[in-house]
Amino acid sequence: MASEATTLQSGVLKALQFPIVVADVLRKRQVLKKELLKQTNLVPTRIAILGGSTTTEVKSMLELFLLAQGIEPAFYESGYNRYLEEVEFENPDLWNFKPHIVFIHTTWHNISGFPELLEAEVEVEQRVRREMARFESLWEKIHTELGALIIQNNFDLPRLRPLGNLEASESFGRVNFVSRLNAEFANYARNHSRFLINDILYLSAQVGQAAWFRNTYWYNFHMALSPTATVSLAHNVAAIVKSVYGKSKKCLVLDLDNTLWGGVIGDDGVQNLILGKDHPVGEAFLDFQRYVKDLQQRGVILAVCSKNDAENAKEGFSHPDSVLKLEDFSAFKANWDPKPENIREIATELNIGLDSIVFVDENPAERDLVAEQLPEVAVPNVGADVSCFAEVLEHERYFEVDKVVQEDLNRSAYYSSNAQRSAGQARFSNYGEFLASLEMTAEISAFLPVYLERITQLINKTNQFNLTTRRYTSAEVAAIAQDSAFITLYGRLADKFGDNGLVSVLIGQIFDEKLQVDLWLMSCRVLKREMELAMFDALVEQCQMRGIRKIVGVYIPSKKNSMVAGHYASLGFSPVGGASEGCELWSYDVPATYSPRTRYIRRTAEALLAAPSAENESVPSEV
Amino acid sequence: MNRDEFLLEMDEILDLPAGTLRGHERLEELPNWDSTSLITFIALAETNNGASISPGQIVTCSTVADLLRLAQAESGSC
Repeated sequence: MASEATTLQSGVLKALQFPIVVADVLRKRQVLKKELLKQTNLVPTRIAILGGSTTTEVKSMLELFLLAQGIEPAFYESGYNRYLEEVEFENPDLWNFKPHIVFIHTTWHNISGFPELLEAEVEVEQRVRREMARFESLWEKIHTELGALIIQNNFDLPRLRPLGNLEASESFGRVNFVSRLNAEFANYARNHSRFLINDILYLSAQVGQAAWFRNTYWYNFHMALSPTATVSLAHNVAAIVKSVYGKSKKCLVLDLDNTLWGGVIGDDGVQNLILGKDHPVGEAFLDFQRYVKDLQQRGVILAVCSKNDAENAKEGFSHPDSVLKLEDFSAFKANWDPKPENIREIATELNIGLDSIVFVDENPAERDLVAEQLPEVAVPNVGADVSCFAEVLEHERYFEVDKVVQEDLNRSAYYSSNAQRSAGQARFSNYGEFLASLEMTAEISAFLPVYLERITQLINKTNQFNLTTRRYTSAEVAAIAQDSAFITLYGRLADKFGDNGLVSVLIGQIFDEKLQVDLWLMSCRVLKREMELAMFDALVEQCQMRGIRKIVGVYIPSKKNSMVAGHYASLGFSPVGGASEGCELWSYDVPATYSPRTRYIRRTAEALLAAPSAENESVPSEV
Repeated sequence: MNRDEFLLEMDEILDLPAGTLRGHERLEELPNWDSTSLITFIALAETNNGASISPGQIVTCSTVADLLRLAQAESGSC
C-alpha cells in the first residue's frame, strides 16, 4: 500500500491537488486516468449525470477526481438538456443503469423563466413555486424509483444584469430570483436526507465570473461552464462523493511554531508570541486558529506534532489570545523525535489510519520529510504565509462532510476520555480487572430511525474492524432497517469515563433457517473492550427468537481488515468450504441454550430488542 | 510556445508517445482527435497564447501544423 501511494503521490495526485494547474490537467488527462486506474481496491460506484447542458467535460474531469479519491465511477450520461425528460419518461437505459448517485448538472440557463420587468411579487412567488414543482417532481421520482442519492447543483448567477444592481434587490430582478430559488433548494436539502447541494454559486465566486463562463464554450458546445470552471466543479462534486463513501480525512495534525502562532515558544516565551489583533500577522494566526477550532467543533480530530519541549509547547496555549486550548487536542507530541515517527504514534494512539491524517507545517523541510516517509498522510503545501493556510485546506476539501450528526460534535471528547482510559489501565496488572473497572454498559438493538445517519456514516468509514467492507448508501440502510428479511443491530457503548456513542453495526440476511452476516463492523475506539462479544450475544438471542439454526459469517479480506481474519474462529465458528476467491465463509450452529460471552459489559435497553412486526415495519425511512 | 513545444503538447492531448507528431499529420487520421481533445486544444490555446479560437476556425485546419499556425495567429478574448 505504501509503495502504491508513493508512486501515485510523486506525480499523479499532485497534478490534481491545490494549486491545480488546469492546463496541466487538461493536457494530461489521458495519462492521469491510466495511472489512477492502476490503483487497487478502488471503490466502484455508478453515477448518472443528468445534464441541463453539455456534460462531456464534466464526466471526464469528474472521473479523474473520483479516481484520485480511490473511487472508480461508471457513468450514465443523459441526452443533452434532457435531465427532466429522462426521469419523467423513465428512460430504460437510465433505469437499467441503477445509479447509486444521480448528479443533476443544471445552471441558471435551466431556469424555465425569469420574472418579467415590474412583475408583481405574488406572481414572482408563483413563478418560484412552479420552478420548485418541476425540480421536486424530478427529485421525488429519483428517490422513490431509483433510490439514488441526489447531488444537485444550486444556481449560479446570470452573466448579464440589464437592471444593474437592482437585479439583486427588486423581486423581479434575476439575481434576486436566483437567490430565492437557491434558498428553496437549501430548504429541500435540510429536510431530505438523500439530497445534497453542489454549491456552484460559491464555486463561481471562487473561480470568478470571467473564468466561470466563456462565450466560446457556450455558443459552440453549449457548455455552461468553461474548462477551468469544470475542473473546479468536478473537484467539488468528487469531494461530496468521497464524503458519502467515508473517504474524508479525520484528523488534522498541526505544528506549533509559526503555524499556530508567530515565533518560537522555546526561544521567545509565551509573552512574545505573535498572536492577536494588535499585529497583522498575529491577527492572521488568530484567524487560522479560529478556522481550526471550527473544524474541531464539527468533528475533526486535532493533534499536535511539534519539535519542542513538551512543557514549553503546552504553555503556548495559555496565551490570552489563543483560541485553541490544550483540551482541543486529542493527541499531543512535542519532543525532538522525527515528525514521521510522532505521526505514526498519533495514528496508533487514536486508532486511525495514516490515510486519515492531514499534516500542516510551515516548514517545507518537515513537510517534505513526512510526505516522503508517510505517503499515506496528506501534506498540503501550505507555504509560509499563515494567511493562506486555511485557504489551502479549504481548496482540498479534506474534511468534507455530507452530514453533521451529534456524534461528530462529541468526537474530541471521546478521544480525550480514551486517554483517561489508557492511563487507568496502567494501574491494573490484570486486563480483566481493568475492563471490569470501566463499568461498561451497552445498548444493542435493531436499527432505529434516529441512528440511521450515524449507522450509515460508520458503514462507509470503518475499515479495520470490518468483516466485509460492504458500503451502503443511506437509502439502502433505511430499506434494510424496514425489511423483516434482515436482522439489524447497532451497539452503543458507555463506561464511567463517558459515552463512546454508537460504535458497532451488524446486518444479517435471513435465508430459511440460516442467517448470513452481510456486514459486521466496529469503531476502533472501542477495540479490546469485548464489545464484539456483546454484539454476538445479542445476535444469537435474535436467532434463537426467530428459530434460526445456523449463522454464516462472511470474511472478505482487504488491505485494512487483517485484524479480523480470526474473528469468526475466535467465536467458535467453523470454516466452510466452497467459498469464492477472496471470500471466506464460516458457520456456527445456534445452540438451544446459550451462555452469553460478555463478561464485562452490562446490556441495557433489552426491551427494544424485538423481532420486527407489521407495526415496526412502518418506521419511516427519513428522519 | 515554439513548434516543438506545441507538438509535444499535442502528443499529450492525443495520448501519443512524446515525439510522435511531426506536424504533417492529417487531423482526420489522428486517433483520439475528438470533441474532448478539440476542447482541450481551444482551452490550452487560450491559456498558453491568449488565443480565442472557435471550432469554426479549426474546421479550416487540415494538419497539426495548421493548428499551430491558428493558435499563434489569434489573440484577445471576451
